[in-house]
Order: sequence, then C-alpha cells, then structure tokens
Amino acid sequence: MPDSQAAADKKASKPDVPVQLIVFRLAGEEYGIRIEQVKEVTLTPEIARMPKTPRFVKGIANLRGDIIAIIDLEERFRLRTSSNEPVTGVTYTMALEAKDYTIGIIVREVPQPLSLPAASIEKAPEFIQDLNINDKYIEGIARVENRIIIVLDMLKLLTPEEIMQLKPKATSSAATERR
Amino acid sequence: MKSREQEYRELFMAEALEAYDAMSQHMSVLEKRPGDEGALNEVFRLLHNLKANARAMGHDAIGEVAHRMETIFGQIRSKERPFAGSMVPVLFSGIDVLGGMIRAVGANQELTENLPLIENLDRVIEGEEPVLLDDDESGSEEDATRKLELSDLVYIPIKKLDHLLNLVGELIIDRDRVLTLAQEIGDTTLQTVTAHLSRLADDLQYSVMDARLVGVGTLFNKFPRVVRDVATAEQKQVELTISGQDIQIDRNILQIITDSLLHLVRNAIGHGLETPEERVKAGKPEIGQLVLSAQTDRDNVLIRISDDGRGVDVERVRRKAVDRGLLTREAAARLNETEVHNLLFEAGFSTAEQVTEISGRGVGLDVVKLAIDSLGGQLRVDSKLGQGTTFTLVLPTSIAVKGALLFELDGHPYALPLMHTDSVVSLAPEKLHVVGGTLLAKVLTENIPVVRLADLLADNDDALLPANRAALTGAQDIIITNYNGRKLGLIVDRFLRQQDIVIKPVSQPLDMIDLFGGVTLLGSGQVCLVLDVPAITRLFLSRRP
Repeated sequence: MPDSQAAADKKASKPDVPVQLIVFRLAGEEYGIRIEQVKEVTLTPEIARMPKTPRFVKGIANLRGDIIAIIDLEERFRLRTSSNEPVTGVTYTMALEAKDYTIGIIVREVPQPLSLPAASIEKAPEFIQDLNINDKYIEGIARVENRIIIVLDMLKLLTPEEIMQLKPKATSSAATERR
Repeated sequence: MKSREQEYRELFMAEALEAYDAMSQHMSVLEKRPGDEGALNEVFRLLHNLKANARAMGHDAIGEVAHRMETIFGQIRSKERPFAGSMVPVLFSGIDVLGGMIRAVGANQELTENLPLIENLDRVIEGEEPVLLDDDESGSEEDATRKLELSDLVYIPIKKLDHLLNLVGELIIDRDRVLTLAQEIGDTTLQTVTAHLSRLADDLQYSVMDARLVGVGTLFNKFPRVVRDVATAEQKQVELTISGQDIQIDRNILQIITDSLLHLVRNAIGHGLETPEERVKAGKPEIGQLVLSAQTDRDNVLIRISDDGRGVDVERVRRKAVDRGLLTREAAARLNETEVHNLLFEAGFSTAEQVTEISGRGVGLDVVKLAIDSLGGQLRVDSKLGQGTTFTLVLPTSIAVKGALLFELDGHPYALPLMHTDSVVSLAPEKLHVVGGTLLAKVLTENIPVVRLADLLADNDDALLPANRAALTGAQDIIITNYNGRKLGLIVDRFLRQQDIVIKPVSQPLDMIDLFGGVTLLGSGQVCLVLDVPAITRLFLSRRP
C-alpha cells in the first residue's frame, strides 16, 4: 500500500472528509489505525514461537493459509507494567497490510471502528516522548469528546528493520565467521 | 516415457505451426501496409528461427525455403527494396509451402523440395523477375482446402505452474487436517469421503508435479557448445559424454542448478583436466574425458560431472586451508580425505593458483554449494589424485514435497528434512562424554558432537556454555544431522514421526532468519518450523564453546 500515505496526507488537508479508524486498547490507552491498513480482525490463531526473534514478536501463525508474524505492541512499546499481566486467554489479532507483507497485531479486546473528522487529529505534541513510543510512529492525537486516541502510522512501525530490530544480522554474520 | 526424438518433434511442430500462423498474419498486415516495420521484423525473426530449428531437426527442405525467404525479408527490412510487385505472390506462396511442409512433418510424410518456388525465390534475391506460372491459382486452391489446426501443445508460463503448485500445497495441508478431523469425529461416511478426497488430492498433486517435470537433457544439451568453447579457450582437448537426458526433474530445480553446473563444467576443464602435453607425460590419452550424467536414485536425481584429470591434491588443499587461515596446521593434518575434499566448499577457498578468464570468475565452489543447499540437496566430491574428480549433485525431483522427521521442542513441533538426517538415536546421559566443553556421542564407530537444540536456538548469540552432562536426565532423543560431511547431533525433547511435508517459505520480515528453511502446517492445523540443517551447522560452529 505505498500510496496510502499519500492518500492519508490528502485526507488530512481536507478537513471535511471523515477519517475511519480502527480503535484498540493497549495497556488501557486507546490507539487507532487507519482502516485501510487493517485487513481483518480474527480470534488469535495458535502461535508458534520463532527462536532468534525479538521478544515482542510472539511468533508465527496460520491465517487462512498465510503464515504471518504476530507481534505484541504492548511489549514493543514497553507498556507492560506489573499490574499488566502478559496477554492470556481469548485475544484477537488484527491483520495489517504492511508494504510487502501482512502482519498480525495481538490485542485483548475486539477493536472498534470509529469515524471522525480529519481536523480532530492533531500533530503529536512533544510530551509523546514520555509514552515510550518513538514519535516517528505517531501520526497524531485524536480528541473525540473526552477520549484521546493515539493514531499510529503502521507503515513506519512495520518495516522489516523495525520488527527485526536488525538483530538477526548477528546470526547471519556468524555464518561468515566460522572458525 | 516418451522418447526424446518424439518430444523434440512435438516441440518443433508446436513452434513451427505457431510461427506459420504468425507469419501468415504478419503477411496480411504487410499486404495492407507494406512498410510496417514491426511486421517485417517479426517475419524475419520467425523465418530465422524456423530455419534454425528445421535444420537442427534435419528438415532441410524447410530450411532451404526459409533461408531464401529470410534473405529477401532481410533486404526489405534494410530498405534495399520495397515489399511490392511480383515478389509478393512469391512470398505468399513461400509461406503456404512452408505451412504445407510443416504439416507434412507432422503427418510423418517425406518432404520434397519445391523447385519452382526455390528458383523463383532465387530470382527475387537476385533482383530478377520471378516466373509466375499458375502460382496465384495454385495458391488460392491451397487456401480453399486449408484446414485450420490448433497445436496439441500449450505453452504455460512457469508462473502459472508455480501458482498451481502452491494451491496444491495448500490443498494437501487442508486434506491432512480434514483426515485428522474425520478420524476424531469417527463418522464412517465422513471417513469414506475423506479417504476419496485424499486420493484425489494425491493424484492432483502428482499430476501438477508431473506437469512441471522436464528432461535433464534440456539443460545438458547446451553443454557440448559450452565445453567446446571453454576447451578452446583453455587449450585443452575434451571429449564430452552425456547420458541420462531423459531423467525428469522439476523445471525450477533445473533452473537453479544451471549456473552451478556451468561452474562445475568450467572448473573440470579449467582445473581438472590437464593440457594434452601433461596428459601424454602422465601416460594418459591426449583427449580428456568429461562425463555429464543423470540418474534417478529413489526419490532423488543424481547429476554427476566427472573428469579423468589430475584430481584433487589433498596435501595442497590442506596447505591452502592453513594459508587462508581456515584451519590450524594441526587441525588440517587430522582431517581425513573426505573432510579435506569438503574444504573445497568453504567460502573463500579456491586452489587455482591463477585465475583464468573461464573458470575464475570470483565465485568458488561455495556458491555452488549454497545453490544446492537452497534446494535441500547435497553436493559430494570424490577424487583420486592423478585419476580424476567426480562431483555428484543429489537433488530432489520436486520442490513441493519433502520427507521430514517431526520432533517436539518446548511444546512446539519442528521438522527436519530427511535429506539431511543421518540417523536418530536415544542415548542415556552416561553414553555421552564431555570433551573440550562439547558433548560427544559415540554412534557406531564415530564420535559425533552433540548439542541441546534448545540451547542452540536460545536468543543470544554468545558462545555456548560448556556442556554439563549432569543437567541431562533420562534417555536423550538425538537426531544426527549431516551437512557437507559434518555430523551434528541435536538433542530434542521428543521424536514425533516421519511425514511428507509441503514447505512454505517463511513470510517477510521473518525470512531474515536463515535458521529455518520454511514452515509447514500439520494436520492438526499447527504451524511447524522446518529447520535448515546447513544454517544450524554453521550456527553450532560459530557458537561452540
């Protein structure tokens, strides 16, 4: 979806066009993703942990014949505190379309669609740094009534470099260093 | 199995008929727009190919006509003369005659030279006026009686076959799931239906795999020319013998090994075979022998490249390995002959002292090895000093289905391709010994390093801690893997079973991790990672204590 970014920019410039978001909760806060980036929401399928991947990559799962990586954003953003037990029980997976692949994001509650005017999304302010989320993933903050929704730019968050944290390079280079 | 001649004939017929149809069409275009460059170029190209193919198949009569027409179209194309006047009916009848001849080949009839036409074509080439007898009439008569024919062969882009194969792979996975479910539910009607579905899925799978098979000859037959060119450049005398062209293999596998085979053949001529003088001095015939052969071995295809050249000088390889810093002198001295041969496949190893244009292209045997690894195949080398070298490629017939050993680790199923599995053993901890921090198991007469797979796959990349035998309790299930002659025992939690699996590639971005050759879905719907033995072996070597 290389042009969704461009489409997003265009929408932002026209305040009267409503923006459709899929809203989900991470550690009590509300986050939103543009609906175009969400392929589907399902019950989380069985996940097989994949060794040598960052901890927040929960593993791989079979989603209608596609084998996709499943990641846990709470762990990715280090939002988990002691009162926040690891995700257990029934969870849901949002399948998102990244540039060249599909990836699953695990969430505790069923994500909800939300339509709001583009003007209600503000550029992210400085204080975002406190949220442990690098501000480059944040498209803006939406204020709806008394809710605050952090709108994420998934395409930036889901690049291979971000997901892999470039960690496996060490493993592959080991191959060249034998002996 | 069809004979090769028949297969070639069918291919020739399909191509020739297609060319004939296309030429007829382009001729009609030219009649309306004589200057149409696209049509002119196409007719020229088609005639040229038809000529070459016909001559290669021994249909000289077609070749003669096509050659002359090609000449005329060459003149028109280079604007020496226009597509006009009395040459037009001659060219039209030329196309018709070609069509007739092609059909005659298809009907197994003898071809006869059409002398009036050839004479007319010659006249046109010379710029003379052709003799148009009742040419127009005979031409139209043929038109009236002409039958429209469609070829019995269809060309399919390999992409479509790839897609079909992927779909069948998915179907097989779902079939296994349905079989498992039917077993659990225990309904007899359901079981009968699933059994039938299962047979159909099997048939479909084999049909699709079969459709992708091509004769090894399609690749082998390109080599006489390669060998001739390389031999000339290297000033060697080489006689190439090819056998097993009829052996069938998946087209994509053949595609992947093309460069490897080219490399091995160049190597054999460049480094393996000696110059005629050297050969005479060594008491061998002047002409070196190079054999390219294929044969089937159970589910695999073996491709061999043998030469009767100087063979691998084991001592020199040892020295080189030490010089290149791959091994210490002591370690090199301990290696047996096979282990020394396997050094040839290490990255950055090449014994050729001087890099020649033909064989030294900056890639070594390690690149060949990697290509074969990527297919889940094996590369072996046998050599006798002074007598020659044989490289053997052990390749799967088909990419889709592989035999695998399933086992459990940390509650998850994993698979390991049988191609790289040597044996499985269950050993009590007392049977294992710790030598230099590494566990060793004595299996038959060999001492094999053993490692807990769970430790090897742990997230950090530091060196493994020295092995502690006391930490092992109860019999240990060990899979002995074999890669490039290196055996490695992997301790797993539990063996599950042996099964044919359909391997799907790991999706991006996780494909950056090379430890897994792919994933497969089990009948239970579980996702199962498939270990890549070459990468596991390398990981062990880089992390051993």
